[in-house]
Amino acid sequence: MNTDFSVIGRRLPRPDAYDKVTGSARYTADISLPGMLTGKVLRSAVPHAGILKVDTSRAEELQGVKAVVTDKDILPRKKFAGGFLNTPASPKGVPPAWEDQYIFNDRVRYVGDAIAAVAASDEITAEEAIRLIDVAYDKLPAVFDPRDAIGPEAPRIHDSAENNIAWHMSCPLSEGDVEKGFQGADCVVEGEFYTTKQAPFPLEPSAAIAHYDHTGRLTIYTQCQLPHLARSSLADILDMPAGMIRLINPYVGGHFGVRLDFGPELLCAVLAKKAGRPVKLEYEREEDFVACHTRTGFRYGAKMGFKKDGAMTAVQIKAMAHLGGYISRAAAVGSVFMSMGIGNYKCPNRQAETDFVYTNTSKSYAMRGFGNPAVSWGIEQMMDEASESLGIDPIEIRLKNLKQAGDPGSSGLPIPSLALEECIKVGAEKIGWQEKRKRRSHGSKRYGIGMACMMHNSGSQPFGHERSSAFIKFNEDGSAGLIVHPCDPGTGSWGTLAQIAAEELGVRAEDIRIITGDTDLTMFDVGSKASRVIFNTGNAVKMAAREARARMIERAARILGISSEALDVKDRYVYVRSDPGKRVPVAEIVRDAIYHSEGKGEDITGICAFDPTTTSPPSQAAFAEIEVDIEKGKIKLLRILIVNDSGTVINPDTLEGQIEGGIAQGIGFALTEHFVIDPETGKLTTDNLETYKLPTTLDMPEVNILHIERPDPIGPFGAKSVGESSPITIAPAIANAVYHATGVRVRELPITPEKILEGLEKKADRDIRAHCL
Amino acid sequence: MDATEKHIAEFIINGESHEVILEPHLTLVEVIRDKLGLTGTKHSCSTGLCGACTVIIDGNPVNSCLILAVTVKNKNILTVEGLVEGNTLHPVQEAFIHHGAVQCGFCTPGMLMSAKALLDKKPDPEEEDVKIALSGNLCRCTGYVKVIDAVMDVADQMKQEG
Repeated sequence: MNTDFSVIGRRLPRPDAYDKVTGSARYTADISLPGMLTGKVLRSAVPHAGILKVDTSRAEELQGVKAVVTDKDILPRKKFAGGFLNTPASPKGVPPAWEDQYIFNDRVRYVGDAIAAVAASDEITAEEAIRLIDVAYDKLPAVFDPRDAIGPEAPRIHDSAENNIAWHMSCPLSEGDVEKGFQGADCVVEGEFYTTKQAPFPLEPSAAIAHYDHTGRLTIYTQCQLPHLARSSLADILDMPAGMIRLINPYVGGHFGVRLDFGPELLCAVLAKKAGRPVKLEYEREEDFVACHTRTGFRYGAKMGFKKDGAMTAVQIKAMAHLGGYISRAAAVGSVFMSMGIGNYKCPNRQAETDFVYTNTSKSYAMRGFGNPAVSWGIEQMMDEASESLGIDPIEIRLKNLKQAGDPGSSGLPIPSLALEECIKVGAEKIGWQEKRKRRSHGSKRYGIGMACMMHNSGSQPFGHERSSAFIKFNEDGSAGLIVHPCDPGTGSWGTLAQIAAEELGVRAEDIRIITGDTDLTMFDVGSKASRVIFNTGNAVKMAAREARARMIERAARILGISSEALDVKDRYVYVRSDPGKRVPVAEIVRDAIYHSEGKGEDITGICAFDPTTTSPPSQAAFAEIEVDIEKGKIKLLRILIVNDSGTVINPDTLEGQIEGGIAQGIGFALTEHFVIDPETGKLTTDNLETYKLPTTLDMPEVNILHIERPDPIGPFGAKSVGESSPITIAPAIANAVYHATGVRVRELPITPEKILEGLEKKADRDIRAHCL
Repeated sequence: MDATEKHIAEFIINGESHEVILEPHLTLVEVIRDKLGLTGTKHSCSTGLCGACTVIIDGNPVNSCLILAVTVKNKNILTVEGLVEGNTLHPVQEAFIHHGAVQCGFCTPGMLMSAKALLDKKPDPEEEDVKIALSGNLCRCTGYVKVIDAVMDVADQMKQEG
């Protein structure tokens, strides 16, 4: 911790914690409006079918039903791209192939695709009305696995997509000649890897409330993580001026990427309009599993070439992205998948391409880490495979190929700061890597240790729109309101942004009150995604604070009768640097500006609209110690050590919380979470918590976290991001530990006991054959 | 009175008596949230598998989504709103705030209730006891590390205070 700071680096409690521990925090489902109706959605029971007829007459006759909406009610009937792409943030427009969905489609493409919706006076009536709607399906053959979907016999899911390939993308970071790189290599490793469509599963189920006022203005209470973009996208789809739409974020119970696209908002708005009353639409848990998008799954072949000394000569990835029935914004996930896959290590020859393949499953798009967890799953295992082939330690082969500050990162832009080398070295030392890698255990319980590392981004520059804004206004008591709208879904950004503002303003963190959550009030901020808030909104806050601070010092200079250059501000006082006893309280300066202006009145405010043009990668090394029961194939996690590089640490509790939560999600991704479709019915068999296993308290190992604080030249006070880091490293670190323990290499997620036992059996066969030869 | 009909029932929640027009199919979480407006208790999975709706009935933590309200009339029910005494937070609430154990907060009320029920019964728990007591409360944000630290810290404080 840098002792020059007063507020940065301190473990301060979060401003939202009190509301949350007392139960007074209001989430969307906790809100009730006068005359509010309950909405329900009729969802497809079959995975692929034309909709011949939707007969709603019996539902409409049911007492208490106030609105039934189907495709016929949607005017204009507008085709759109998912993931809020239909906004001015896509200045070049959206590829027509991505515009592949309507609010209701005339063909359903997965079990759970929406067909109709109702609003009724209570939940039981709404449910009954849904049962009374008759749908005539023209059933079509369905396909669930991308490998089958690209085959010549496969049913076509969208008429425009031949072989169900919705999109093909080559990575713009491709460079050199990979064939030449492989020819010049002393060792080439290859493998096929698979990652599952993980469910983001925030604890708070999807919910929205919509109502129109007498002027036709639409207000939606939403969990959406990009509220300003969502407003723009809604305006386009509903054919309304954006100013006629207001989005309000109540408290949000987590999102992890699932609120980067519409949940119930569109249907809720359509129902509210037809009913002429407010409508609340909440999804049931099982419904949530199919109606919300999952992490995009990938199946890919990867090939890497190395020189004897471990230097990488070439890397190549050919991937299939496992889409659902609609592409949403999965191409962006694929883009990150490829650029991180070939761009996170130094390598002269690199190439990647991806086919995005439709299947008759729920939509795929973003989950924490975007495409990075999927690609690191393979690349980080192949680094270990190469190290074994070449007889080099896994740590050494990584250090040999690491990028350094100044090198172009996976974004193509120069890396402003990087402490990954130190993370790896410190971690290896701390965990006793050298000694523990030599450890060989016998009997049924086998010890293993493995590691993985990663770089990610702070925001999506230079590819994505990253605009953030902040406005600060002082009150007469010296406290200040900070108007921002990053949408804090629990990450702690309200607290960290307040700490940034307080540090710059020379006041205390508790003096800063966050004012947020309403697009009528807040200026444009992209929102909460892509590990961007601390880096980009944080910079906007710092610059707005700088402006307010300058105004405050200017005013203090008049009061003290001294040049503003001689002044500084700390702990609620503006003081003379050469004579700190000479000072004036911030509160007095503000009162002077408001009440004693003598014709020179002003507000002590600061405003910033920040358009970043760069990114800075956070990095991390993860070490996993495990024990594998080779009779049962079961993995016991003993310890996870993370050494993390997020630049300056603004609030250690918040930073650690992000890492610890990311570890748990990484453990679920690695070991238990699997999206399984019944090949007969197309139904998701893992649509409940009995079959979709999330880690519990009992699944967590000992967790240790170390920070390497190397201030970043661009981030506010030197801070970089952390939100998506840990879900990226955990699965490959565990897989590498499994190999160390058992000699079994698992390339398909999740790492189940069955796969370990199967691997052990194959290995035993191989060993016997080798012995016989 | 026939329990299958809509009727007036009395519930004792956080020490106060409430009369509710009770439809017999209602679960306890529905009564607490929808009839009484105590929205601190969260409703998430409806199957007793996530723990977000945990309340304490006669000292025992239960998933209120699995309890038919009609079966717990006149029992002592404690929800998260009842943890505060006057303006004083329960030590577990304080510890959650100061250990950074709260993130999105949706699991927090349930976690607090499970933790309180444990500490009431076993003021001197081992870490393993805490893990077991909270194993039915899913959290997608925290990885449980700071949650467990917070509960253990309360136990340590209670030990010191004798």
